[in-house]
Amino acid sequence: MTQKVYRLGCDIGGTFTDFVLLNDETGEIKTYKCLTTPKDPSDAVEAGIRGLERDTPNFIGKLDEVIHGTTLVINAIIERKGAKTALITTKGFRDVLEIGRGIRYAPYDIFAEFPKPLIPRRLRFEVDERIRSDGSVLKPLDLQEARQVIQEILKENVESIAVCLLNSFENPTHELMLKELIEKEAPGLSVSISFQVLPQIKEYERTSTTATNAYVKPLTGRYLSKLSGRLERIGFKGKLFIMLSSGGVTSVETAAEFPVRIIESGPTAAVIAGQYYGRLFNISEMFCFDMGGTTAKSCLIQKGEAGVVPTFEVGRVQRFMKGSGLTIQVPVVDLMEIGAGGGSIARVSRMGTLQVGPESSGADPGPICYGIGGTEPCVTDADLLLGYLDENYFLGGKMKLDKEAAKKGVEEKVAHPLGVTYLQAVWGIHDLINETMAAAAKTHIAEKGGNPKIVTIVAFGGAGPVHAYGLAKKLGAPRLLVPPNAGVGSALGFFTAPRAYDVLRSHKVALSTADFNEIERIFRELEEEASKILKKQAAESEIYYERSLDMRFVGQGSETNVPIPREEFKKLSQEEIRRRFDEIYKKLYGRTYPDSEVEFINFKIRASLPERTLRLPKIDKKRRSLTEAIKGKRSAYSSLVKDFIPFTIYDRYQLFPEAAFKGPAIIEEKESTVIVGEDATVFVDDFGFLWINLTNE
Amino acid sequence: MGPTFDPITLEILWRRLISIVDEADSAVARTAFSSLLRDAHDYTCMFTDQKGRELAQGSFATPGQSGAMALGIKNLVTRLPLDTYKPGDIFITNDPWALAGHLNDVCVMSPVFYNQQLVAFTACVFHHSDIGGRVSSDNHDVFEEGLFIPFVKLYEGGILNQSVIDMIRWNVRTPDEVIGDIRSQIAANHVCSEKICQMLKENGLDRLDDLADQIIHRTEKSMREEIEKIPDGIYQAEGMIEQMKGQQDVVIKATVEVKGSDIVVDLTGSSPQVNWGGNVVYNFTYAYVFMAIKSMFGPDIPNNDGCASPITLLAPEGTVVNCRFPAAVAARLVIGHFLTEIIYRALGKVAPDKVIAASGGTPAQMNVFYGKRKNGKPWHSVIIRGGGMGASVRSDGNYVYIFPANGANTPIEIFESDTPLIVERRELIPDSGGPGKMKGGLGQREVFRIPDDEYGPLPPVNLGIQAGRHVYPPEGLFGGKPGLKAKFLVDGVPGNPFGLTQLNPGSVVTIDAAGGGGYGNPFERDPEMVERDVQEGYVSLDKAKEDYGVVIDPKTLKVDWEATKRQREKLSDDVPTLR
Repeated sequence: MTQKVYRLGCDIGGTFTDFVLLNDETGEIKTYKCLTTPKDPSDAVEAGIRGLERDTPNFIGKLDEVIHGTTLVINAIIERKGAKTALITTKGFRDVLEIGRGIRYAPYDIFAEFPKPLIPRRLRFEVDERIRSDGSVLKPLDLQEARQVIQEILKENVESIAVCLLNSFENPTHELMLKELIEKEAPGLSVSISFQVLPQIKEYERTSTTATNAYVKPLTGRYLSKLSGRLERIGFKGKLFIMLSSGGVTSVETAAEFPVRIIESGPTAAVIAGQYYGRLFNISEMFCFDMGGTTAKSCLIQKGEAGVVPTFEVGRVQRFMKGSGLTIQVPVVDLMEIGAGGGSIARVSRMGTLQVGPESSGADPGPICYGIGGTEPCVTDADLLLGYLDENYFLGGKMKLDKEAAKKGVEEKVAHPLGVTYLQAVWGIHDLINETMAAAAKTHIAEKGGNPKIVTIVAFGGAGPVHAYGLAKKLGAPRLLVPPNAGVGSALGFFTAPRAYDVLRSHKVALSTADFNEIERIFRELEEEASKILKKQAAESEIYYERSLDMRFVGQGSETNVPIPREEFKKLSQEEIRRRFDEIYKKLYGRTYPDSEVEFINFKIRASLPERTLRLPKIDKKRRSLTEAIKGKRSAYSSLVKDFIPFTIYDRYQLFPEAAFKGPAIIEEKESTVIVGEDATVFVDDFGFLWINLTNE
Repeated sequence: MGPTFDPITLEILWRRLISIVDEADSAVARTAFSSLLRDAHDYTCMFTDQKGRELAQGSFATPGQSGAMALGIKNLVTRLPLDTYKPGDIFITNDPWALAGHLNDVCVMSPVFYNQQLVAFTACVFHHSDIGGRVSSDNHDVFEEGLFIPFVKLYEGGILNQSVIDMIRWNVRTPDEVIGDIRSQIAANHVCSEKICQMLKENGLDRLDDLADQIIHRTEKSMREEIEKIPDGIYQAEGMIEQMKGQQDVVIKATVEVKGSDIVVDLTGSSPQVNWGGNVVYNFTYAYVFMAIKSMFGPDIPNNDGCASPITLLAPEGTVVNCRFPAAVAARLVIGHFLTEIIYRALGKVAPDKVIAASGGTPAQMNVFYGKRKNGKPWHSVIIRGGGMGASVRSDGNYVYIFPANGANTPIEIFESDTPLIVERRELIPDSGGPGKMKGGLGQREVFRIPDDEYGPLPPVNLGIQAGRHVYPPEGLFGGKPGLKAKFLVDGVPGNPFGLTQLNPGSVVTIDAAGGGGYGNPFERDPEMVERDVQEGYVSLDKAKEDYGVVIDPKTLKVDWEATKRQREKLSDDVPTLR
C-alpha cells in the first residue's frame, strides 16, 4: 500500500482557483493558481491537479485528503441562480419569509431597497396544523390536505422544497411527517426541513435559513457528486472534505445535505490559519487582517480562538450595509468585511473632502497603473506612487505598472479638485483607507472586549502587508506578523481546520423549572446526530464532544453562551449552572444580576475529531549575510517625516533565520510587499515569518 | 482664527470623530442590560464642541432621538454658564421638554476637559423600558407618567451623588435594570471623553472648535446646495389625525417656506394640546420635521449641527406639536410620527422625486399585552408593528416597516413562549397597498387568540394600544390612491384602538396595520407589473381590473391586452379628472 503523505487544499474563488499541496512528511508546500471555470468549477480543480503534477509527479495516488472551499453556493444566492423552490409552512404564516424582522437598515434613506425572498409568494404554501410553544400539539397535521398541497406544489415543477412549521424546534413530528409524504409522493425530490437545518427559535430566521438551504441544495449536490466522481477517475483514493463557514471541515454528504453551512467556506481559511499561528506562537490577542483588491476582511483571535457568531447575512442589496441582506442563522466565523482594498477608488466627496472606497474598480478595469483601462485613481495607484510598490516587480514582475498615468490620474481627479498638493493627495489616499480600516477594526475589537493596543496584527492578502504598518500605527498595535507567501499563508488554514461539527436545539425553559433529565436526553440526541455526521468522515476515530448552553435573563433579547462539562446533566446543580452563567456574563458585560431569573434557550454540541497537526516548513538555515538579501534602495514616503526618504529593499526569498534589521525597509515577494517604517525593527524566524516590532508612544 | 485643515486631513479627523461615537455605541452594546437597548438599538450617543454644537452621532440611531438630541443638548449645555462646568461632573435628566419628548428617554451628559480646558460635551440618551408611573397613554398629565428627573448633577467633580441614585431606585419597578443602564450610559460617555482627548493629543490640537467649524460648515453647505435646487415658494399641507371617540380630531397645519437654501416650517394653526398622552414637545416635533428634510436633501451625510442649520421650525406653544408642561406625553408617537409625511406632502409639490406617499407604519403600532397565567404568574409582552410604506416616483412602497421611526418586530415564537396566547396569523394583506403607477406597500394582519383551554390565562388579558389610521387611511400622491385603513377587531367587532382593552379567554383579536399610499395614476401602471402582483397574490383579479384597469386572464394569469385597453378607456371616461 502506498503511503498517503500528501494533502491538497483547493479554494475556488471568483477569479482564481488556488491550490496548496502539503507533504506531511517533509512539511514541503507547493502552490498553484489557475483561472476559475464558472461553467463547471471541477474543470479548474482537475486543471490545477494536473498543473501540480508537473512538479510532483504521481502525487494523486498518495493523496490522503482534499480539503475544498468554494464560493459556488454564495454566488448562486447572490446571482439568484438556485433551484425553483417551494415552501410549506403553518397556516397563517406564508409571509413570514417576506415580512422579516422589519428593521429599516438605513433610517434616513426612504428609497432603500430590501432583498426579495428566495421563494416568491406564489410558491409559498400553507398546511393546517399547529404546535404550541411548549411542543404540544394544538392541531394535528391534516394528512389529506397535506397530500393535496404537495400535489399542487409538484404541478409547479419545483426542484426543491423547504418545510418550516411554527414551533417545530420543540416538536418536529409534523415536519417529519411532511418530509415522509414528500418522499413518497415525489421520490428523489430535494427536501429541507427546518428541524434538521436549524432547530432554533425565531421563525423568520429559521425559515430564511431553511429556504436558503433548499434553494442551493440541488446545485450543490450535483456539483459535489461531479467533483467526487472526477477526483476518483483521476486516481484519488483519499477523503474529500468541504470547508464549513464555522471554520471546521465536513464530509461531502453533510455539505450536500446542508449547503447553507458552507456559504462562507472561502474566506474562513485565513482565519483558521490565524488561529493556528496564534496557538503555535502563543499569541493571546491577534488581529487577522486580509486585504485584497476589493475588500478587507478581519477578525480578532483571542487565545487562539476566533469568535463564531450564530448568524450572518448574504446577498446584501447594499454591499457593506448591515441589515440589507438575507439572514442565515448557522454558525459562522466572526469576520468583519469592509469595502477597502487595492482597487478602492479615490474621489471627491459631496462634502468637498477626499473619499476612498467602498466603490472598487476591482481587477478589471482595475487601478490606472494596471494600464488595462482603469481611469479612476485607486489605493494601488497611491501605493505605487508612494514608492511602496515597484513598478517592475508587481506580481514578481509579471505585470508592469504605469507610474506616469497613475500620477496624472491622482493629480487630475484628486489633487486639483481638492486644491491640495500632489503629495498631500497621494499620501491622503493611503492614509485615509488606513483610517477607514482602523475605525472599523477599533469597533470590532471593542465589541469583542479586546484591546487594540496589545494585538499582534497578522497580515494576509496582496495588499495586507502594504497597509499593515499604517494600520498598526493607527491602532497603536505593537507588533506585526507577516507569514511567508501571503497567498499560501491563508491557504494553510485548510490543513489546520478542525474536523468539527456544531449542532443545536432550542428549548426555552427557566433554570428553576427545567427538567434536567429531559435536557440530558436532548444532549444525547444531539451527540448522536453529530456523531453520525463525523463517522462519515472518519469511522474509526474517537469523537470529542463539547457541551454548551445559550442562556439569558428571563425576557432578555440576546443570549450568553455558557460552556459546561460533559457529564450527566442532572449531576450539575442549578446553583452550579447559575454560577457559571453569572461568571461569564460578568466577564462579558461588566456586571451581573444574581436576583434576576435566568432561562435556557439553546442546547449546543460541538463534536470534533482529533486535530491533525501540521509541521510548518522551515526555511534554509544556512547563514548568509544580510547584504545578499538587499536589492538596493528606493525612495518611498515616510509617514513620520512626511516626505520621501530612502528605504532599503530586501528580497524576501534571500532572508534567513535570525536575520534582523531596522526600518525604513521594504521587503518584496511575488504576491506582496511588506512596508516597515523607520521606527520599527524586523526579525526573521525559523519558518521565515517576519516579526515586526513597532515603537509606539 | 484657528488652524484650517486641508480637505484630506479634515476627512481623516472627521472619520476619527465618528468612529469615537461608534466605539461608545459598542460600549453600550456590551454593557447595557435591557434588550430594548441591546437588540432594538433604542439609544443614541453623540458629542458636541464646547459651545454645544453637535459634531458626531452614532451611525445607527432612531430618527426621533437623533433629531431631538442635536437641538436638545445645545439648549441643555447653555442652561449653565460654561465656566461653571468642572472636570468629573456628570449630569442626568429625562425632562421630556429638554430632550426626546417622554420620560423613558433618559439623558446622561458630561463635559469633556483637555488640559484643564472645556473642549466638548458628550451625551447619550437611552430609552429605558421602565421609569415608574402609570403606564398608559390616557394619563392627564406628565406627573402620572413616571419619575421626572430634572437637569441635575449625578456626579460632582467625580463624586457620586448617591441621593440621585436612591431617588431613582425607589421610583421605578426594575431598579437594577434602570440603574445598570444608567451606569452603561456613564461608561459610554467615558469612552467618548477618553477618545476625544486622545485624538486631540495625537493631532497636536488643543480644542475641537476649529475642526467643528469646518465640519459643520461643509455639512451645512452640502445640505444647502441641495435645498437651493428646489424653487422658492410657500407650500402648505395639512394632516388629520384621528382621536378616541368623543374627542375632536387633531389637525396639523404646515406652511413650508423655501427661500434660497433655507426652509422655514411654520405649524401655526395646528390643534391645541390634548388632555391625554399624545402631546408632542417641540424637540420631538422638530425631530420628525428634520427626518423629512434630511431624508430629502442629505440622507447619506453624517449627522451634525450643520444638517440642521438650514431648518427653522415655528410651532406655537400650547399646541399639540409644542405642548406646555405638564402635558401628558407618553404616547407622543401617535401624533409626532405624522410630521414627516405632512412635510413630504407640502414639499412634494416641488420635489416630487424626493418624497414618498403616506405610510401605513405612521404611526408605529404599539401593543402591550399583559396578564396572569393560570398559576398566577404575571406575563407581559410588547409587539411593535409597521405597515406598508408609501410609494415613490421610483418604486412601489416597501412592505411592512415602521416609518418614519424604526424598529424590529417580535418573533411569534418568542411572543408565544413569553405569553399564554396563540398567534393565528401574521401575514400580508392583499389589495391593501394604495393603487398607483407605483403601488403602496402592503399592510399586515396579526390575529391573536386568547386560549380558553388548560393553557389559557386567567381573565382578563389587558391590551394597551398606541396606533392610528383606523379612520383616515394613508393618502396617495399625484393621483395615487390611499392604502387600506388599520383595523382593530375583537371577535369580529371593532374595538377601541386607543388606550386599554380587556379581553377574555376564547376571544380572538384581529389587528391590521395599514397599507401605504400609491404614487401616480394607477391606470398608468405597467400592466405587466400588475400581472406579477396578481400572480404573487399581492393584488386580486378583481382589484386589478377595478383599480388598475388591467384585465388578467384567470386561467393563465397573463394580461389580456385588448380587454385592458378597453377597461382603461372605460374607467378613464368614468373619472375624467384624476388628480
